Amino acid sequence: MPIRVVLADDHPLTRAGISAYLAQESSVELVGEAEDGLSAWKLISELKPEVALLDIRMPGEDGVAVARRVKESSLPVAVIMLTSYDAQQYVLASLRAGARGFILKTATPEEITRAIGTVAKGGFYLDSEVASAVGDRDFAPEALSAREREVLILASKGFSSKEVAVQLFISERTVQTHLASIYDKLGAKNKTEALLLALKYGVVTLEELIE
Amino acid sequence: MRRHLLLILIFAILLPAFAVLIVSGIGLLHHEWAMESVARSYVQDMAENLATRLAGIEARRWGGSDLTSLEIRSFRVFTWGPSLPGWVALVATDGRVLFSSPGGSNLAQIWRPDLPLGRAVEVKNEEGDLYTIAVYPVSGGDRFVVAAVAWDQLLGPLVRVGRLWTLLALFMSVGILLALWALWTWLIVPLRELVAEIEILRWGKDLPSSAEPLAVGEIGSLRRVLSKLARGAVERTALRNRYVNDIVRVQEGEKSRIARELHDGPIQNVTAMIQQVRLSRMAGGEEETRRHLALAEETAQLVVRELREMCDELSPPWIDLGLEQAMSGLANRLSRHYNIPITMEVDDSVELSHEKLLSLFRIFQEGVSNAVRHGKATAMEGHIFRRGGSILFEFEDNGRGFDPSMNYETLRISGHRGLANMLERMMLIGGKLEVTSVPGEGTLVRCIIPETEEEMPL
Repeated sequence: MPIRVVLADDHPLTRAGISAYLAQESSVELVGEAEDGLSAWKLISELKPEVALLDIRMPGEDGVAVARRVKESSLPVAVIMLTSYDAQQYVLASLRAGARGFILKTATPEEITRAIGTVAKGGFYLDSEVASAVGDRDFAPEALSAREREVLILASKGFSSKEVAVQLFISERTVQTHLASIYDKLGAKNKTEALLLALKYGVVTLEELIE
Repeated sequence: MRRHLLLILIFAILLPAFAVLIVSGIGLLHHEWAMESVARSYVQDMAENLATRLAGIEARRWGGSDLTSLEIRSFRVFTWGPSLPGWVALVATDGRVLFSSPGGSNLAQIWRPDLPLGRAVEVKNEEGDLYTIAVYPVSGGDRFVVAAVAWDQLLGPLVRVGRLWTLLALFMSVGILLALWALWTWLIVPLRELVAEIEILRWGKDLPSSAEPLAVGEIGSLRRVLSKLARGAVERTALRNRYVNDIVRVQEGEKSRIARELHDGPIQNVTAMIQQVRLSRMAGGEEETRRHLALAEETAQLVVRELREMCDELSPPWIDLGLEQAMSGLANRLSRHYNIPITMEVDDSVELSHEKLLSLFRIFQEGVSNAVRHGKATAMEGHIFRRGGSILFEFEDNGRGFDPSMNYETLRISGHRGLANMLERMMLIGGKLEVTSVPGEGTLVRCIIPETEEEMPL
């Protein structure tokens, strides 16, 4: 039983390329294509595919907004953002909007298929290029303490150090110390990177972050 | 020293005036006291003298009988009165007047039993006239000699004239002090306030208070001028800030436009190329491989074309070929881009520096874009020629036209920077820009560049 997929991309050539990739894959069935956000949403709500590949920049409504709609209407559709931007902030925004995967348009057909397979099974997929920008694939991080996990999860929900300190009844200074330790363990340079690395290494789950 | 000069000057006037006030006040008092003591000693002497003489006569008479009126008259003073206006009288203990010089009947008005003996005092009668009076007992004490002078009869004028200068000085110093007070309130204080305000005024940011001060007119004028200048400075600052803002906004706008164009064009197309190359590798048959590769090649051509167009637009390399080629080339390119006929005629003899050429280039780009987008023009004509010491560049469209009385500033602020940019471009190279447009009849833009290299005053 192939995985049913909807593809939305406003650029005809790249859309044709992706759709040609998917056509070669027997495990995936492309059930619909859209060239803007609104028609993408229409397709998703009508066809209820298992996976939706959404371009971030689209006329009308962007991919992040469509992902948010999917999340808000609780459709059983796993969204993968498909984009030319590899900015970590975009990754974060997509994940907050409910996307379960983030791949670049330059990804190989195998990678796209793997991403579709992973999110269809309820997993989380981050493009190797985005991921390699934030760390080594084979790196095995030192385990985070329970407190550090708490700090990281709150921080990645967008709370400032001060707010995290208030919520955990610790001093702001301690929060900073925890963050420094987290960065060190994960090999991250900042909060966003730490979060992405933690997701990648399975230190935290996507559910913990977007709840 | 100079800083406090105004205060020093005020004190230089204030102090003498104050000194005169004090001195003349004291002088007035002293004069009063002197007159008083003169009057006192006069009446005192007169009374004492008479009393002694009367006592002497009585002693010679042994009998102790009363003086006859004949004897009394032998005292000149009783007949003619004292040499100063006043009178003397001989009074019995009960106040009865026994003898008196002329006018002595007034005594009844001022007689008081409690008058001290042997010492002159000032007494007022019921009408308020002042008298200096002295009472002396004649030997035995059953009679008294009373002597008095009336101040307002002769002493009065004397006093008044004596007082006059002092009073004048007094009034003058009071007048000066009042004038100083007025000077202080209406000139010095408002002036100092103005100075204090100017000292802390942040030029270009603050406006001085516009309240009309209660002061001499000149301060008001000064304030109005200052206010006008300050407002000018504030407006200039605002204008400059707006200008800088505009520049930054345009730069940022350009950057994000270029980024967007790169993202939507070349990046997507190169991505598509990568996909096609990969697909060609994955393809089953040779024909399919060739199809994917052909598609990749086609996409690569597209990318090159897109990038070349972006280059042209950012900074056209062929602008170095000279005025004629640059402008004709631009006209051709714009003609293709907007899909309307655009002609360009350039007088061969006209030569322009690179800077000026670039200005005309940008103005034409902007002008054509405006004509097509806003004016819906379907054809354009451009001419570059020489006339009367100037180089003229005119371009005309057949669009809808607009009302050229529209303020450039308003256009600029409302985001229609096209015209404002064109105007600024011309000003930068010392030229002029004229726009003639009639709604419904198209627009004529004329750029005038003086051929002589003289700097236009900014």
